[in-house]
Amino acid sequence: MTVTFPHKTLPWLLVAPQLLVTLVFFLWPAGQAIEQAFYQEDAFGLSREFVAFENFIELLQDPYYYNSIGVTLVFSMAVAVSGLSIALVLATMADRIIRGQMVYQTLLIWPYAVAPALAGVLWWILFDPAQGPIALWLEYMGIEWDHFVNGGDAMVLVVIAATWKQISYNFLFFLAGLQAIPRSLIEAAAIDGAGPVRRFWDIVFPLLSPTAFFLLVMNIVYAFFETFGVIDATTAGGPGQSTKILVYKVYEDGFVGLDLGGSAAQSVILMMIVGLMTVVQFRFIERRVQY
Amino acid sequence: MAAVVLSKVGKKYPNGFHAIPAVDLDIKDGEFIVLVGPSGCGKSTLLRMVAGLETITNGELSINGTRMNDREPADRDIAMVFQSYALYPHMTVAGNMGYGLKNRGVDKESIEKKVNEVAKMLDLTHLLERKPKQLSGGQRQRVAMGRAMVRDPQVFLFDEPLSNLDAKLRVQMRVEIRQLQRKLGTTTLYVTHDQVEAMTLADRLVVLNQGHAEQIGSPLELYERPATPFVAAFIGSPAMNLFSATLDSNNLILGENESVLLKTQHEFNGPVTWGIRPEHLVVCEQDADFKMRVKAVESLGAETLIYGAIDGVNQDLVLRLSGPHQPEINSEIGLKAPQDKWHLFDANTQQRLP
Repeated sequence: MTVTFPHKTLPWLLVAPQLLVTLVFFLWPAGQAIEQAFYQEDAFGLSREFVAFENFIELLQDPYYYNSIGVTLVFSMAVAVSGLSIALVLATMADRIIRGQMVYQTLLIWPYAVAPALAGVLWWILFDPAQGPIALWLEYMGIEWDHFVNGGDAMVLVVIAATWKQISYNFLFFLAGLQAIPRSLIEAAAIDGAGPVRRFWDIVFPLLSPTAFFLLVMNIVYAFFETFGVIDATTAGGPGQSTKILVYKVYEDGFVGLDLGGSAAQSVILMMIVGLMTVVQFRFIERRVQY
Repeated sequence: MAAVVLSKVGKKYPNGFHAIPAVDLDIKDGEFIVLVGPSGCGKSTLLRMVAGLETITNGELSINGTRMNDREPADRDIAMVFQSYALYPHMTVAGNMGYGLKNRGVDKESIEKKVNEVAKMLDLTHLLERKPKQLSGGQRQRVAMGRAMVRDPQVFLFDEPLSNLDAKLRVQMRVEIRQLQRKLGTTTLYVTHDQVEAMTLADRLVVLNQGHAEQIGSPLELYERPATPFVAAFIGSPAMNLFSATLDSNNLILGENESVLLKTQHEFNGPVTWGIRPEHLVVCEQDADFKMRVKAVESLGAETLIYGAIDGVNQDLVLRLSGPHQPEINSEIGLKAPQDKWHLFDANTQQRLP
């Protein structure tokens, strides 16, 4: 059904706030970034020079940039895979609980309300090599832990912090997906001789696959672009370059290193990645996962 | 093929609700038993208890002489057709039908052979590669039945399998289910709330009311000698006319102020429920037992249903005549109620009087 307005201006007025937000906070800065990517500016912003693709060429010859891509891939895959699998296990268990389901669900959703920076700091403290309870326990177990020195430890820490926050979101979607599966399907499979594990892999999981794919994309997007707070509040990309994901590098090169052109060029590449992921989601894979 | 025996089988929920107190039922090998009753009477629960989808809290269930109470659904050698069909949406028709065999470790070739055989019987061969989404309601129903049949189970369980189909298809599938069951000779337990379905399918019917088996018997037994007013009202369409009445010194007294008196011979004295089926009332000009004032007429062509009331009696009455009739509204029709068609129930015990 379509609603038609007699006015010509009213529809524009109604969408104006949204358009304005998009213009001011997205299109304008994006345009600025694209423009900036083709200029080189001195640190004080006093002069700038058109350099065409030089920023990009420089970037693509920078080993640190490739390192950052690698770090980002490892980080986002780790976050997506652990986030999805832990959430799926939790959702499957929550789906079976009969008494106190609301309490359990509410508690599981809480971490989503925690700001990324706080989530980061929380785990930072828990894992603090000198006084964090988890680090002390690890030490007691004979495992050495120091995310100030060891790049691998630092990566594990940011993955845990980022995953912990994202599990709530995944959990909600998985639980809704599980509850949408008719009980009779599971019962039919039980009569057909499938045990609980078999039922899960043969019936439940395939029926959840559209949800799982959607979440996979959302989690990768989250790990790529929304984990700045977690990284900044904890490792700040260190030690060395070991947790410097692409988004963090954009910030650091631009606002700390004051290489505005290079930072802008990185932003443009990130924008292209986002565009690509969207296309992949809607055009390519979503159709195949349908049953 | 197997006999199924329920002895004092009951269900009590953790909250103390006694859904089914105790049902005794002895199903012979190859018999078609229909559980029928209004919604909430416990018929589906009872079926699910036989399937193993609900726990049995008291009594004992045995299939083929083996106690089944604590066996998993898969180990009871039963197959079930669900109301929603419960087809696996991501599998093809062939996949759906073969899933049970696959889980039991049957090799691929045997599965394919068996699936093809059943598909042929159900006229599904051309649909084997389709997904359930691409099938019509009737086809899905057939696939659900096929899935039950490929395993050659001891017992078929049907949970209102026809209620999602349109009226015409329902009649067609009803006939088909009956024929298939006869052909396969598999013991069958079938749940429905539709008494026509129950009457046409069953070897024996179990009428359930609030978890009690009110009566167990062949369709005609239940029609001719219902044990309680509940069964009397439930079996037959339109339902039997039932009146509160009093039996007193060879008279049946209907209504207030003794407005209608029917002569009879009976040992019983006291309050009763008197019933007579709409098709057993006889129209007569003279010597009528009572007169009915016409309120509404439903002409169905082959038969006519006339709704009305007896003056001075506070309950409505239905009369069923074959062929077309057009009585005037508010006119009076003289009726005779032949004594051999009466149904009398003790109003206190709700049991049939001999």
